Amino acid sequence: MSVLREVLPDFSWWSGADKRREAASGIAGAVLVIPQAITFAYVVGLGPEYGLYCAAFVALVSSLFGNSAMVGGPNTALSILLSIAIMPHAGRGSPLYTEYVLLLSLMVGVVQLALWALRGATLFRYLSPAAIGGIKIGVGVLLITSALEGTLGVSGLTMQFFHEKFYVVLASWSEIVNPYAAAISAATILSALRLKRWLPRAYIIVAVAIGAVVGWVIDGVVGPVQSQVELLGRVVFDPLPLRLLTVTTEHLAVLEELIPNAVAIAVLGLAQSLVISRDLKTRMSPSVDLHKEVFAQGLSNVVGPFFSSFAGSGSFNRTSVAIEMGARTPLSGIVAALAVVAIAWGLGPFLTHLPMPAIAAVLLLVGAGMIQWKEIRLYARSRVDATVCGVTVFTVCFVGLEAGIVVAIVTSVVFFVASASRVSLDITRDGDTEHIAVRGNLFYASIDGLVGHLRAHPATRTTLDLRAVPYCDSAAIAAIDMIRRERNQQGGRLDLVRGDVTGIAAAA
Amino acid sequence: MLLVGLPLAVAARPTIEELKARSVLDDYESNVLHGYDIVMDTPRHAPRYSGNRLSCTNCHLAGGTTPDGLPLNVAGLYPRWRAKNGVRNGIGLRIRECFLYSHNGVMPPADAPEVLAVAAYINYLSEGEVIGKPPKHWGVPTLTGTNQDPNPAMGEMVYRRACVSCHAADGSGVGSAPPLWGPASYSAGAGMNNVQKAAGFIWANMPLGAGRSLTQQEALDVAAYLHLQGRPVDPRDGRLRKLAERFVHWLGGLTGRR
Repeated sequence: MSVLREVLPDFSWWSGADKRREAASGIAGAVLVIPQAITFAYVVGLGPEYGLYCAAFVALVSSLFGNSAMVGGPNTALSILLSIAIMPHAGRGSPLYTEYVLLLSLMVGVVQLALWALRGATLFRYLSPAAIGGIKIGVGVLLITSALEGTLGVSGLTMQFFHEKFYVVLASWSEIVNPYAAAISAATILSALRLKRWLPRAYIIVAVAIGAVVGWVIDGVVGPVQSQVELLGRVVFDPLPLRLLTVTTEHLAVLEELIPNAVAIAVLGLAQSLVISRDLKTRMSPSVDLHKEVFAQGLSNVVGPFFSSFAGSGSFNRTSVAIEMGARTPLSGIVAALAVVAIAWGLGPFLTHLPMPAIAAVLLLVGAGMIQWKEIRLYARSRVDATVCGVTVFTVCFVGLEAGIVVAIVTSVVFFVASASRVSLDITRDGDTEHIAVRGNLFYASIDGLVGHLRAHPATRTTLDLRAVPYCDSAAIAAIDMIRRERNQQGGRLDLVRGDVTGIAAAA
Repeated sequence: MLLVGLPLAVAARPTIEELKARSVLDDYESNVLHGYDIVMDTPRHAPRYSGNRLSCTNCHLAGGTTPDGLPLNVAGLYPRWRAKNGVRNGIGLRIRECFLYSHNGVMPPADAPEVLAVAAYINYLSEGEVIGKPPKHWGVPTLTGTNQDPNPAMGEMVYRRACVSCHAADGSGVGSAPPLWGPASYSAGAGMNNVQKAAGFIWANMPLGAGRSLTQQEALDVAAYLHLQGRPVDPRDGRLRKLAERFVHWLGGLTGRR
């Protein structure tokens, strides 16, 4: 019964929704997502229309089946991971590449549905906010680095580490930087920074428009041959891009290799979506069902590839804009998805001469927006958080995003275990009777301290107060049992004051 | 050392039809097929960078396989220096400029999949050619049998007699025949806008299927007629600057008349 409630679209929010506000925020969201979608499609290595398909169809399914105001669609980190995964197997942007991206996206959806069946939403509780913050900062650095070439009109810088790119650009800027491209991206970035306060919803669109006008003037005065500014090209938007995915034996060999990538992308997508929806649940809509959100994400990525969409997930920046504009239900996401189709269909012809430096500038802004000083200062206050966040950022930047996710999960768990294994012993003495109140979890990693103390004071009569022990595993029970037997042989005593810990009760 | 004297055993190149029938293609073959599709129907298979109704095959006749019809078996000639842009041109730059000038579109980036696919197709057509040596019947023939300057008025008469049934009186093209001028045709910066080159192409290949039926003088005249028609501006000129120049020119005309 509860499974059915998670699987079927649920329109119980309909009656409570403020339709006018939801629609307004949806349309603003559509305007916001279009430059992002084109940029993320560029990051994936596909034509701009694929990003728009993702912003329309993945977002539509995830809002239709979800139950929060979270906005889905193309996502920075997922886009980077998709391109990293497919690049070795096919020429960037070729029909085969497109097919592989869509098949990988389908695999991501299937993995996410499997995680839903395994109750994945609970799993992501262990990914600490600091680790997610670290991933976000690392992705921001990667985005800024990858936008560097586009904004400056430099082509094909391939380096092993991200900082080398900055060095090359700084060291030989006079030879490799295209001044026209740099002017266009500077116009876009400066106007975005200036307009952010006045037009918090539409400033990216206006900034891109200003960059485009600067580009058109440059194009008109010196001509495209002289300026060498890369243009977007015609966006061929099909409002119903149905696609049948074919899988041949040759595909299968490649797809098998892609399974780890699919798992990594699925986990990262769900992690981001769940961070967002958990945030929404605690802040404004307690009725949000996280399992239902996981199902909606998985389903959107399973359905998406059949509409030529690559894998997406919840978006931090677009959700926060939607919430700011008053969205509280999935209605705004549904309106946004439909508006993307309408706008992209009508706007397509005007996008042809959009200069790429303006789009790369958006990428730079999105990347910079992911590095929040406020968050960094928050993490810096705790040593554990600072370590988890720092290690994650370092790994993402120097080893790669996939490794960064693994490191984020591992360090979160390690520090969680470390903090959980802290046991305090409150020792009071009364003559030769020792009273030890234990506070904390007793398990394989934390039992050593207690055992060491008991061994060091063998002859005394000891009462062990376990009422403040919430959890005790078999290793701890065995150890306490052994100590008690030793005490009995030596003529001493070990008494237990039992709490709810069932294992100890049996041993006693 | 023994091998040097032996003729190279070149495996027969599979035809496009044979490639299409295969169930498994490697990276190169799939790029060749993609390139072939782009050459045969550019607006459909490379819509992002194409800006008019022309396909590559409209000038590189029969997919670049016609001798004297700008054949595409020229991979061995690149990289080469070209006067047009004054730099050493790789085959990639050559293809990208075709999108900009002849297709009146947007210059694709160097790593655009469309460019790589067309380069693979050109490579496929060039198998068996000698590197650095121009293939036979390369480009278009140079006309030596003309004895008068090109005469566009005569050219218009030739056009009405021999060309109009396929290319239409307004040059917009009928059916699969390409537009020869107007907004849907090549720009003023295209190679075909060169009268000598266009004349050689027309004499050797036009009317399609009845090449060399016009005299060389007639071909030259009709090429001059085409050259005078309106078409998109040369992308080497800034459109705004061109507009401003025309405006200043027009102002000068107004004041001069007074």
